[in-house]
Amino acid sequence: MNKIINSELRKKIVDMVYKAGEGHIPSAFSIIDIIAYLYDKVIKFDSKNPAWDKRDYFILSKGHGCAALYVVLEKYGYIKQRDLDSKSKKGAILGGHPDRTKVPGIEASTGSLGHGIVTAMGIALGLKIRNKKNKVIVIVGDGECNEGTIWETALVAANLKLGNLCCVVDNNGSSDQVLPVSCLSKKWESFGWETHEINGHNLKDFKVFNKINFDFNSKPKVVIANTTKGKGVSFMETHGPWHYKVPNKDELVLIYKELDV
Amino acid sequence: MKEMRQEFADTLIEVGKVDNNLVVLVGDISHFRLLPFSAACPGRYYNVGICEPTIVNMAAGLSMLGFYPVVHTIAPFIVERSYEQIKLDFCYQKLGVNIITVGSAFDYSTLGCTHHCYTDFALLKPLPDTQIFFPASPMELNILFKQTYNNKMVSYFRVPKCSHDYIFKPNQLVAGKGIKIKDGKDVTIIVTGPHLKTALNAAEYLQKEGCDIEVLYMHTIKPFDAELVINSLHKTKKALVIEEHSCYGGIGDEVIRVAGCISGVKYSFISISGDFIRDYGSYEDLCETLGFTVNGIICKVKGMVN
Repeated sequence: MNKIINSELRKKIVDMVYKAGEGHIPSAFSIIDIIAYLYDKVIKFDSKNPAWDKRDYFILSKGHGCAALYVVLEKYGYIKQRDLDSKSKKGAILGGHPDRTKVPGIEASTGSLGHGIVTAMGIALGLKIRNKKNKVIVIVGDGECNEGTIWETALVAANLKLGNLCCVVDNNGSSDQVLPVSCLSKKWESFGWETHEINGHNLKDFKVFNKINFDFNSKPKVVIANTTKGKGVSFMETHGPWHYKVPNKDELVLIYKELDV
Repeated sequence: MKEMRQEFADTLIEVGKVDNNLVVLVGDISHFRLLPFSAACPGRYYNVGICEPTIVNMAAGLSMLGFYPVVHTIAPFIVERSYEQIKLDFCYQKLGVNIITVGSAFDYSTLGCTHHCYTDFALLKPLPDTQIFFPASPMELNILFKQTYNNKMVSYFRVPKCSHDYIFKPNQLVAGKGIKIKDGKDVTIIVTGPHLKTALNAAEYLQKEGCDIEVLYMHTIKPFDAELVINSLHKTKKALVIEEHSCYGGIGDEVIRVAGCISGVKYSFISISGDFIRDYGSYEDLCETLGFTVNGIICKVKGMVN
């Protein structure tokens, strides 16, 4: 079995979803390694001042993977453990999709697929107009790449030369279940984007994010991250009933056991 | 009088020169008219492409950075095609935008259903933090835009091709406030858009026949000036509402709602029925078909007073 990185964050995700009684665990597991790395090594931020004007912008366009973002925001002090513990309960700030009107550190409310990437492009354009050097990074899903606005954005961002924008495609194979989006790298490249392809669970591959040149007037960047939905727990991996399933007590024990390996 | 679309372009330059936060995104409509804006405000004009939901959504990103975006193309492609973007990217997230459209109602009379939009008031009214304006003269567009463009609300300006040619005093124009154009005691005409002119012509004819018409002009659909309407209907107890909009969800419904507290009010409407407009012809031809004429108004008023 491959070594799992971020097993503690994965456990927090499972714990939160178990307590909430709802959540998309496998969709969070496919992106947790990338999000954890971005906040650790790439994105500039100040959790004490979420509106810091020199911060980089991170948007989770595939909003249903929000459990991964929540545990990282908690790790860096944007939110508290008690927020994770109350997810999706009456009066909670955390729900089944990210909400910028309630949660510090969330830049855009997402959930309807095909919106977050467009918002990110608008931010990138605004930064370019103001000649500000902040980076803009957005994660979309390969299933989300069924949405027309993804490809409208691919056209427009390339035409506007928004080199300060980086889109990560969480290529966990969701689209293959319904409407496959084949040859993702070639597709984005043909739209005029600088294309990178990585293993989305391999730390060594993540160095690409540190090498990307976010300068204006270059091509926008796309990182196709090949991932495994549910990565880290054998019976949750790939596609099946676990997409929106909550573990029972027995399953919780099995999940923790696998994550402890 | 200046063309409405030219006033739109001129107003953007006037505001854009003094406010660096004004950014204009268009969907390949009015491009040549806006080239002077592009020259006067470098880096703040984008003819994005033919991808309206994306244009609307990216304006939300600009709004997050403190810009006052203006999004412009033909009405149905923003209000109907990009409705979810307005709802989620602006209203829910409490972000402001200025949506300025051409192609009011059936202005593109020869282009058919695809280019018509007479559900816009009904669609935008229920969304929180929206304002809806129907400025039907250049001065109204200029003044209402300057009053509201930076108030961080979702401000929708439905810009018609035709003006009503009525000249207001500048201090008469206040966002959210209707205007009593003519005093009367028998029937209240509540009108929005270019048919202020039609209504005033009908009122003049009816006056000669002894029917005293009060004319209220509503350039703002939301917030609706309930007080003006209520005060008038207490007196006349008869309301004729004229709007180039579906009979569902426009100012007709607003009038009924706000006048609910007044007993014995008779209502009549000139609006667009629940069916599509399937005919072609000039704008005036369609007005004739739909009853937006002096005769159409006279018939409706006589139906109420007799």
